Amino acid sequence: MRKLGTLLTVALVGAALLGWGQQVLHMYTAFDVDEAKIYIEAFQARYPNIKVEWVRLSAGELLARLRAEAGNPQASLWLAGPSDTFILAKQDGLLEPYTESLGWQYLPDKFKDPDGYWVGVYTGFIAFASNKDFLAKHGLEPPTSWYDLLSPEFDKNLSMAFPYTSGTGYTRLATLVFLFGEKDGLEFERRISEHIHHYTKAGSACVTEVGLGEVAVGIAFSHDVIAKGIAKGYPVVLSFPKEGTGYEIGAMALIKGGPEPELAKVFYDWMLSAEAQSLFKRWYRVPLNPEAELAEGLVTADQVNLVDYDALWAAENRDRLIEQWQALTGY
Amino acid sequence: MRSAFRRLIHDPVLLGVILVVFALLALFIVFPLVKVLQTSLFHKGTFEPKYFLYFFEGRPYLIRPLLNSLTVGVLVALFGTAVAFVFAYAVTRTDIPGKTAFRWIATFPIISPPFVLALSAILLLGRNGLITQLLQARWGTSWSIYGLPGLVLTETLAYFPLAFMTLEGVLAGIDPALEESALDLGASKLRTFFRVTLPLATPGLAAALLLVFIRSLEDFGNPIVIQGRYPVLTVQAYLAITGMYNLPLGATLSIVLLVPTLLAFVLQRYWVTRRSYVTVTGRPSTAGLRSTEPWVKWPLFAVVCLLSGIILLFYAMVVYGAFTELWGVNHAFTFENFAYVFSTGAGYLMNTLKLAGVATPIGGILGILIAYLVSRKRFPGRGAMDFLSMLNFAVPGIIVGIGYILAFNTPPIQLTGTAAIIVLIFIFQRMPVGIRDGIAMLQQVDPTIDEAASDLGAGFFRTFRRVTLPLVAPAFISGMAYMFSACITSISAVIMVVSARWQLITVALLHEVDNADLSQAAAYGVVIILVVLGTILLLDLVVGRMLLGRGRHGR
Repeated sequence: MRKLGTLLTVALVGAALLGWGQQVLHMYTAFDVDEAKIYIEAFQARYPNIKVEWVRLSAGELLARLRAEAGNPQASLWLAGPSDTFILAKQDGLLEPYTESLGWQYLPDKFKDPDGYWVGVYTGFIAFASNKDFLAKHGLEPPTSWYDLLSPEFDKNLSMAFPYTSGTGYTRLATLVFLFGEKDGLEFERRISEHIHHYTKAGSACVTEVGLGEVAVGIAFSHDVIAKGIAKGYPVVLSFPKEGTGYEIGAMALIKGGPEPELAKVFYDWMLSAEAQSLFKRWYRVPLNPEAELAEGLVTADQVNLVDYDALWAAENRDRLIEQWQALTGY
Repeated sequence: MRSAFRRLIHDPVLLGVILVVFALLALFIVFPLVKVLQTSLFHKGTFEPKYFLYFFEGRPYLIRPLLNSLTVGVLVALFGTAVAFVFAYAVTRTDIPGKTAFRWIATFPIISPPFVLALSAILLLGRNGLITQLLQARWGTSWSIYGLPGLVLTETLAYFPLAFMTLEGVLAGIDPALEESALDLGASKLRTFFRVTLPLATPGLAAALLLVFIRSLEDFGNPIVIQGRYPVLTVQAYLAITGMYNLPLGATLSIVLLVPTLLAFVLQRYWVTRRSYVTVTGRPSTAGLRSTEPWVKWPLFAVVCLLSGIILLFYAMVVYGAFTELWGVNHAFTFENFAYVFSTGAGYLMNTLKLAGVATPIGGILGILIAYLVSRKRFPGRGAMDFLSMLNFAVPGIIVGIGYILAFNTPPIQLTGTAAIIVLIFIFQRMPVGIRDGIAMLQQVDPTIDEAASDLGAGFFRTFRRVTLPLVAPAFISGMAYMFSACITSISAVIMVVSARWQLITVALLHEVDNADLSQAAAYGVVIILVVLGTILLLDLVVGRMLLGRGRHGR
């Protein structure tokens, strides 16, 4: 018994010593594990007394998690994911406003919540990723129009994300609705779905599948096409639909009632600094801090034809659009 | 019934144990499911079964997955049990060479995260897979592994080991003297097989079919990788919850899925309990096996070799993929992926080991205890205990996870974000297989043995520990080993409850798979396989020694 007591004391003292002087910030992120590590490790190097414990979840899972944990929040900060999920979270009262942040000054209105419940950290555009070898073999050019996806060569040869599991997938659906109107946009999605080989859960998965030659064309965000396809050495080529394409605002927010609000603000401010935003070039993302360095060959907003993307409308009509989409496609 | 009550009152220890078990089952199995059912039927306090109505209206996105799931489940159960029976028969009833190796190969898939097999199927048989390309270059053939063929192939490989473990135990428990008597009485080998061996194995076959059918129905790891245009119910339920944040839809889909699995469960109970074959007489038979005739032996050997080759090929692909620079583009040899796994995943791995290490002994002992109560003791509510303890077996893991979030996020029992919630899910989700194995094993042991112990004055715990436990030790050890690996490779339920503090290695692997980072996913898979393999060997060694040291001899 005495032995047990001694052991317990030693263990407690040891634990106390190890944890001494280091504070822990709990975070949820929708960044890929590889990418999240870049920012989190840089942050920890900058603030050695703060340790970040984090979980990677897709934007949809993340919101479901926040809703489930509303009575007992387990994390303080939510990093990344498309702004429409943040709009939904704000409506559900899951976020904490913060308007004294560093980025609040430089961000134009369309990249932040008017009441400060979330801010944008990067932006990205919906693009086509095509397998070069497939195109060469069939004598095709990379698709430059939404209508190109309906050509017979691509039958059962497309891959893209479900609109209900992936921010990328929903941005694509909403883009088509903004472009063609609700009825025709949904009908267009149905026609694409007949050419689909399979839908994926995550938005960027189709880029690797295109690289592997499992499918000919995928639809994903341009930064994912470059980072996970071209930059990795896969035979992938990037192109954009000339009719216009949609975009996302990758956002960040404080979680209401999170256990470490002050630490979360330190990260929040840092993530909006030029130092942190310059790290985005490693993932070919378009930073929002005007002083951040850009990746070489980065596709910026002035190089693509963007649709008028109303993130608020997209967020508010999400459930309805998805239900219609399911009824039409049967997925 | 009255006498059962009276006996129970005279045995307060037994009564206490039964009450504690019931309380645990009610809190950690029934309560979360009631929450899920409630979510599927009620919306903000009013009765509104919207998605059930949609289902009966025949909306294709609800009906199609059910039909698909059932098709896959039936095919996988048939193929899986057939493959398992071939292996189990070859290993227990014949004298083919290499039995130890075959036994290893037939249990191997159990220790790997199932979606590793789907990954491998794509690496081998996908549009740009190694075999696909080879055959395409030679004969110009092409096919698609996505959809039904891929699902049946990968799930058969993933789940036949469960059937094998059951059948091996059952076949090994059949006294060779019975077969020998039949042969001596002039029956042919074939007749002996069909009239003696096979009937004695029917309870085991039923259990095996049920096991594989249910596992296939609740699998989501393989389908999410390889279902293609053939959506199954679990994936749709999973996507409804994690993607659409639509708890009522997900809950409804899973309750639809529960109907066939519960039917299968009830059918199996009726069929198995009608026939009881007691062939173990307390003293394990030491009679050797007769040598098998060449015309049985070598074809069987060839079939087992072929099946083993397929399994090994699938795992070889995973290892190959793990050491590959960039799958599909640059197949240069590299350790890079492992460096990645150990830098990103070391903490996750430690968490997984810790939590599985806590859950395994608790779940193992609780499982065998329940098996013992259910198959040996007569008490009111015995059927209910059997049913409830097996319930999570038929419930898709993702629903268990959602149930736990709904049930344990608010006081009085607030467990969200703790290690305890993961441990509890491990215990109550994985225990049924331990119970199932325990019951199958106990059915082979003559009940008069522990009745004798009771009559000689041994109390409940003494009889359980000194008589029953040693008799079922092989099942108990294999149950523990299975449970540990099942915890480590578990994903569908725990993905809903992992937290920033307690993240698991399979969740990290699933994200690599989700993102189609094949080489890194393969490296994670290899690391998990090695860890589980190492731990099982260790457990087998330690526990086996311990039991032998107590004076138990052979099987």
